[in-house]
Amino acid sequence: MAAKRYTSMAYASADEMTFGVSKYPVKAGLDLEIGAGYTIPEVNYAPRPEAGASKEKLVKEYERITTDIMSRMVQVGFPAVILETEHVQQMSNNPSWGAEVAHAQKTIMEEYHDEYGIKCALRHTIGDIRENRDFLQLRGDKYSVFLEAFEECAKAGADLLSVESMGGKEVFDYAVLRNDIAGMLYAIGCLGSIDMEMIWSDIAAIAKKTGTVAAGDTDCAQANTAMFIGGGLLDKNLAHTLAILARAISAPRSLVAYEAGAKGPGKDCGYENIIVKAITGMPMTQEGKTSTCAHSDVMGNLIMQCCDCWSNESVEYHGEFGGTTVQCWSETLAYDCALMNTALETKNDKVLRDLLMLSDRYRDPQSYVLAYDNAYRVGQAIVKDGDNIYLRAKNAAVECCNIVSEGAAGKLALSRFETKALADAKATLDALPSDMDKFMDDCLTKYKSEVKVFLPENYGF
Amino acid sequence: MLDFTEASLKKVLTRYNVALEKAMTPEDAAEEIYPKDELIYPIAKAIFEGEEDDVIEGLQAAMDAGKDPISLIDDALMVGMGVVTKLYDEGVIFLPNVMMSADAMLNGIEFCKENSETAHETKGTVVCHVAEGDVHDIGKNIVTALLRANGYDVVDLGRDVPVDEVIAAVIANKPLMVTGTALMTTTMYAFKEVNDKLLEKGIKIPFACGGGAVNQDFVSQYALGVYGEEAADAPKIADAIIAGTTDIVALREKFHKH
Repeated sequence: MAAKRYTSMAYASADEMTFGVSKYPVKAGLDLEIGAGYTIPEVNYAPRPEAGASKEKLVKEYERITTDIMSRMVQVGFPAVILETEHVQQMSNNPSWGAEVAHAQKTIMEEYHDEYGIKCALRHTIGDIRENRDFLQLRGDKYSVFLEAFEECAKAGADLLSVESMGGKEVFDYAVLRNDIAGMLYAIGCLGSIDMEMIWSDIAAIAKKTGTVAAGDTDCAQANTAMFIGGGLLDKNLAHTLAILARAISAPRSLVAYEAGAKGPGKDCGYENIIVKAITGMPMTQEGKTSTCAHSDVMGNLIMQCCDCWSNESVEYHGEFGGTTVQCWSETLAYDCALMNTALETKNDKVLRDLLMLSDRYRDPQSYVLAYDNAYRVGQAIVKDGDNIYLRAKNAAVECCNIVSEGAAGKLALSRFETKALADAKATLDALPSDMDKFMDDCLTKYKSEVKVFLPENYGF
Repeated sequence: MLDFTEASLKKVLTRYNVALEKAMTPEDAAEEIYPKDELIYPIAKAIFEGEEDDVIEGLQAAMDAGKDPISLIDDALMVGMGVVTKLYDEGVIFLPNVMMSADAMLNGIEFCKENSETAHETKGTVVCHVAEGDVHDIGKNIVTALLRANGYDVVDLGRDVPVDEVIAAVIANKPLMVTGTALMTTTMYAFKEVNDKLLEKGIKIPFACGGGAVNQDFVSQYALGVYGEEAADAPKIADAIIAGTTDIVALREKFHKH
């Protein structure tokens, strides 16, 4: 199926958006309706390192994890939960492993649903295994195994299908360490979008065939790499003004999943999801203050502002004073959701949304741009040239620069370094051609020569 | 929409990077520590600026003036890179500057080697790899660039490296240490195997590990493990080994922060 590009916004204004409510709710799993007026905790976990030694050990580990989460949800009286299993590589390289895990988890969830009526769904996030030791092999032999992993998991019990796909990463990794904004634009906006269209057309077809939901992708491999390298305020590895540019560019890339048939909820670590929600009206999972178990960020409250599901990103399964990690973090997520749902039921949702947003709005250029009103503006810049994957990514970057500059003229404090990085990036963006073919040709020549692991055939060139 | 006053904002957050920013610009700071020699200065400056063509031009001028190509590696290229790494360690410049400077330096080293028949001696060799099963290599790429920037010869085994290949590379290259990076909890388990097989062969060199899901507690579980929280710790650990701290417990004492 060809991607149907977005050229208009789902919401008439930024203020229409809030948490727990989306224009196009998604029914999934055991009686869940996502984005239909309530928020849902989405718990994510990783098996202990030694559990990967055999299929039997892995399945047993996920059974323990699933039982722990479901029992804690019931013990504390929460009405709904989503479990997200991000595949370890063995589970996607051997689709039967992933399928057995999905089946084991879903069996336990059905027991809890039958006994207590708790609404729940299971997301499986397939590993992007399309690479060998030396190169990304996006269209190579592993592509069929990759798709088989989706299908087998869907048939075995997974309700929501996701992936953190890697298209463009080989060029991005090179560009981000060299302040190369044109390279980042090419990697995420162009190469990433091309790959996304291919895989999400196929994943959406599998979801249709299996009666499951193609849920969405995240630019974890690139925009989150930039955020992670950017780190905290005192880290010296990447200007945060460049990290937010990577994020803005990632929105039109992650949008492609929905243009190719995905329905949401978008995956948790896509901090760009607020922009995607503004464009598509589809429900989104987000993570922030409750994902400190996995990584730090500078927008822990703000990013909750318009979420439909609320996640902890990932936590290794082991014991804590309060139970196992998945019990502790699922309970924390669910209490956050209880607060948001109370705000929704008492018509205070916009007050809480704005408190969450404002508490981090000026913490960092990244949070400033992702504040829902500014994120909406980035969305508008994207749909303005929605039919052109290059121009819309460039528009997102330029609008991001404009927003940060406007913020810096007000209460958003930037360091000289951040200001200079922003100015350099803006100058580069201004000098880029308006013609997509020229940009693509120039970049193909440049990165084929400079990035030895870049194989153009991965993108059909 | 809700908003803060300037006064109320200060009660909620502080951008410490802005509040504590150093007064001096990176260019001014570099200018203060460049070598003064008129042939070396332009090379060091070109390294700082990451300008590969200017590095070659400066090297050619120095060679034309009679400087020995191999001596220029230590006396010009490494000196220029020393300016870069010093300012990075002091928080004056950021990682992309180091990466671009390292590219220019490596280019310059190749140029010097092409113009000489003498071999260049480095500070020592480090074997770097990403754990078996793991293809996330940006952290390893930063580590190798920083090690090279600090004068070490790097044997880069790449990503998803089988344990036995790591062991073979250590036997073949006799490095002063091995580094291992991993993003995922399930793949970092391979570090234990590397550790055990090194010990089986009677090799007791530090095995510096770090990366996304890797933590100090895990690395401390195997005898040769030294945890590096930042990529920038790798050259510091190598420097400590060269300076005589080869005992694993002593290295942990120095580099384990938690």
